[in-house]
Amino acid sequence: MSDAILIVGGGPTGLSAAHAVASIGRRAVLVEKEQLLGGAPILSGYAKLVPSGEWAKDAIGRMVKRVEDSTLATVHRGCKVAGVEGDHGRFVATLSNGASVEAGAIILATGFTHFDAVNKPEWGFGTFEDVVTTTQVEQMVAAGKIACPSDGRTPERVAILLCVGSRDRQIGREWCSKICCTVSTNLAIEIRELSPATDVYIYYMDIRTFGLYEDKFYWRSQEEFRTKFVKARIAEVTMGPDKRLLVKGEDTLVKRPIVIPFDLVVHAIGMDPNELNPEIARVFGVELEKHGFLEKGEHYTSSFASTRRGIYVGGSALGPEDIDTCISHGLAMAMRAVGDLNALGERKAA
Amino acid sequence: MATYAEMREIYEDITRDFRYEHELNGCLNCGICTATCPSAHFYDYSPREIVQLLWTENVEQVYDAMQEKIWACAQCMTCAARCPFKNSPGGLVAIMREVAIKHGMQSAKDVLRPFGRVMLKLITTGNQLSPDMIQPDHFPDWGPNIQKVEGDLKTLRKAIPVKTLQTTDTAWETSLKTSVEMYTIWEDTGVLRQLETMDENLFDVIQDFIEEKREEYDEWLEERQAAKAD
Amino acid sequence: MSTTEPKGIAGHGAFFQPTNLAPEDAERATAWVRKHVDRRQLDLGERMDDVRDHMWELERDGEIIVHRISDDHQPVVVKTLFGWDKRIPTAQLWHHKSCGQCGNIPGYPTSLLWTMNELGMVPGKDYLDETDQTSCTAWNYHGSGIGNVESLAAVFLRNFHQAYVSGAKLGHRPGHFFPLVHCATSFGNYKEIRKYLIERPELRERVKKILGKLGRLVDGKLVIPEEVVHYSEWVHVMRNAIASKLQKIDVSKLRVTVHMACHYNKMVHEDAIYDPEVLGGHRAATGTGVAQALGAQVIDYSTWYDCCGFGFRHIISEREFTRSFTIDRKIKVAREEANADLMLGIDTGCVTTMDKNQWIGRAHAQQYSVPIMADIQFAALACGADPFKIVQLQWHSSPCEEVVEKMGLSWAESKQRFEEYLQAVKAGRIEYLYDPRLADSMSRAA
Repeated sequence: MSDAILIVGGGPTGLSAAHAVASIGRRAVLVEKEQLLGGAPILSGYAKLVPSGEWAKDAIGRMVKRVEDSTLATVHRGCKVAGVEGDHGRFVATLSNGASVEAGAIILATGFTHFDAVNKPEWGFGTFEDVVTTTQVEQMVAAGKIACPSDGRTPERVAILLCVGSRDRQIGREWCSKICCTVSTNLAIEIRELSPATDVYIYYMDIRTFGLYEDKFYWRSQEEFRTKFVKARIAEVTMGPDKRLLVKGEDTLVKRPIVIPFDLVVHAIGMDPNELNPEIARVFGVELEKHGFLEKGEHYTSSFASTRRGIYVGGSALGPEDIDTCISHGLAMAMRAVGDLNALGERKAA
Repeated sequence: MATYAEMREIYEDITRDFRYEHELNGCLNCGICTATCPSAHFYDYSPREIVQLLWTENVEQVYDAMQEKIWACAQCMTCAARCPFKNSPGGLVAIMREVAIKHGMQSAKDVLRPFGRVMLKLITTGNQLSPDMIQPDHFPDWGPNIQKVEGDLKTLRKAIPVKTLQTTDTAWETSLKTSVEMYTIWEDTGVLRQLETMDENLFDVIQDFIEEKREEYDEWLEERQAAKAD
Repeated sequence: MSTTEPKGIAGHGAFFQPTNLAPEDAERATAWVRKHVDRRQLDLGERMDDVRDHMWELERDGEIIVHRISDDHQPVVVKTLFGWDKRIPTAQLWHHKSCGQCGNIPGYPTSLLWTMNELGMVPGKDYLDETDQTSCTAWNYHGSGIGNVESLAAVFLRNFHQAYVSGAKLGHRPGHFFPLVHCATSFGNYKEIRKYLIERPELRERVKKILGKLGRLVDGKLVIPEEVVHYSEWVHVMRNAIASKLQKIDVSKLRVTVHMACHYNKMVHEDAIYDPEVLGGHRAATGTGVAQALGAQVIDYSTWYDCCGFGFRHIISEREFTRSFTIDRKIKVAREEANADLMLGIDTGCVTTMDKNQWIGRAHAQQYSVPIMADIQFAALACGADPFKIVQLQWHSSPCEEVVEKMGLSWAESKQRFEEYLQAVKAGRIEYLYDPRLADSMSRAA
């Protein structure tokens, strides 16, 4: 039996799991396909995280440092797991850099892929420069300036379109991506902080700033920052003769079709299953659920189990998830992995 | 004024159509259908409203909507292309129109009266529009430039170098056999019955025409048989 | 690369420069672009259904016969909205005509047939136009509600059966001619009906009885075409051939706006051409593709996605709606915002609506005018077709004479030639694009 735990994916979930495994006294081997650790918040340049308001590079950076400094954690960067043999208790994983890792259990923290807004072409992304995604606005916030990509001017009016790539049968994505409402209301606040003269409109079907996020983000964005909310799913985005973008919708509460000009249009993109999931499913011998995310066991007594004994799945690999919850998943999976190995060891000894 | 029971019957007729469950899955009330609807920009009409009335089983307001509102829809189907639930409000309107006609609603008759010419042409010839219908005095608001060459229609149509288009009373020349096949389709699918409900006079005219054409076709068949026998 | 090329500003400018990257670095530098473009094909997994898969299943189960697109039809493969393949036959076509085109805009189908002739297609072998075709009846259905799924389905199957057997009288095998649908409403309607027929056995049973009565079954089965193909899709895949082999007139100075037909790309919208070479694959490609291939400047405008306001019934009995909508959302925008020389449509209803509803604007002090014609009429003009005899622009109310002149042709001369031809017609000397006997369905019918 091997007492190490292999953790695949170095984002918030994987970093949390790696440290948790080490803190219980086991060896953690973390494999990350990119050269940088930190996952989406670092690789996609998120600015301030919700709900803490801490800068991503500080908050996630602390998690990275903790793992790097740990004597019980080994990190392989810039490589993937190419093949897995063996069973719960002793897996042998071959990495794409040639190395071989023995582990008693595997934790899959492989995360998600951002929805590519080019797949909703009628909303203008890819056709008009001034149609951007929430990720790109995060990058603007990190750079300290909100500007229209086409000519660098400060936008007078910004529209944020919610549910881009989510809740949409037209593109086979019938889920809610959970966190975009909170992220968008937060971005509205940040845009107004950086550019007080800019007006922000959010076009929504529903607002899902759940739990304690309700007043912190939804109410606050209105009360303190005058964000305007219109219950309208936008049909198309085109460009008018003055080069401003035209957003076409129905204000369902006032019951009137509207065509409104904006300087900047932001797509609140959803969380897709990791585009590598078919490969992950094949390499690790686990199954996918119907939406394309990794399949998990029943939550009551088999939380975070995959469809293969000894392999656990959590974080946004399971479905759209917020960072705080992903970190909790990491902790939980560490406990499951170690607990199950202990039990396996006892059974073998008996 | 219909009774509640009658309105309920009409509502259920709509929901019984096999297309209904395809075209109404639920509604997120997002408004994207109305956003994109050309009729919503012009009339007091909203596909989202139609869907809401159907979904919440609002029998009376559905009946109301079937008076005028459903005839505002331009059947462009942009709503169906955009709806995140993959509903088709335009498709639902088509069902509602069929049901309105089936029940002989006066509003349907009123709305369809100006369409009579087109229907006569269609049912009797299998074609919808003909050159002799598009003359300057028929549609004066299309302006005087409807024909930029002087001449009689017959010659002008013969000047089109495509044999099937050299007609004036149909869009293209349809063979007698084709027309007769159409009549069987109209009869067996209940369309002639629909027409009878809507406009008895038009129906009578069409029936006469159909009989005449069928006789003509039977004669042609006999002649052919005779010719073959020789 | 020439070393005498201007060096721009500080070595940067609109000229190619060698990067001198090692192959792996070059690959890495460009891989993200390819990755980005490739992702335009959504991973839908099992969450999206292609009705054609079920069609093949039905054939395997012996329920229907699929009228196949074979190599003889010289198909070209294109991509549709979700990146699925669609095969567009380019030869051996059966013309499914449009009422509105043949009645109102005869230059529309005439230009199409003329272009086919010019490309060397042989009537009677490479295409057939005959009398045994009914209207799809969808205009009537969508306008008046008279009709039902059964009647629409019976008409669909009747016409497509005729297409399937039409070659027999000329000595061809069954399925020789593949149907090419001229009208976008027919196209959209037939796609919908095909879906209902494939999914509903009860509908198939009912319609089978009727088709049986008409003698329109093959081996007792319904015939369903492998694809429903719109003529603008044929024009799209042939656009480079048309431009390179046939084009005679330089249209590069023309500003053209394109109106996309609702019924082409919104009805059963997963089945429409999206081509990465045209508008980045972000919008349906037909119409725009051929205009660009001919070298015209295609100008975008803010109401590109809007319906023209045809409305089926509205153009006849709710005319205020149609003309308000078309003037406000299409003609005015093309004129004022895009400053277009020409607006192209790919469908009967759109071309009719936009063409006929300009003059009335005067009654409301809205005087905008833009020449309107179909993509194939424009292509034919650019390839030397006579504006009157072939393109039949005399039936257009919009000022097509303006764009004809801009293309360097003389409207007056063409008109005069045509008036002379009319005299010949009166005397019985009529010209034809194909032997008129080919159109006769009845005399050779079994």
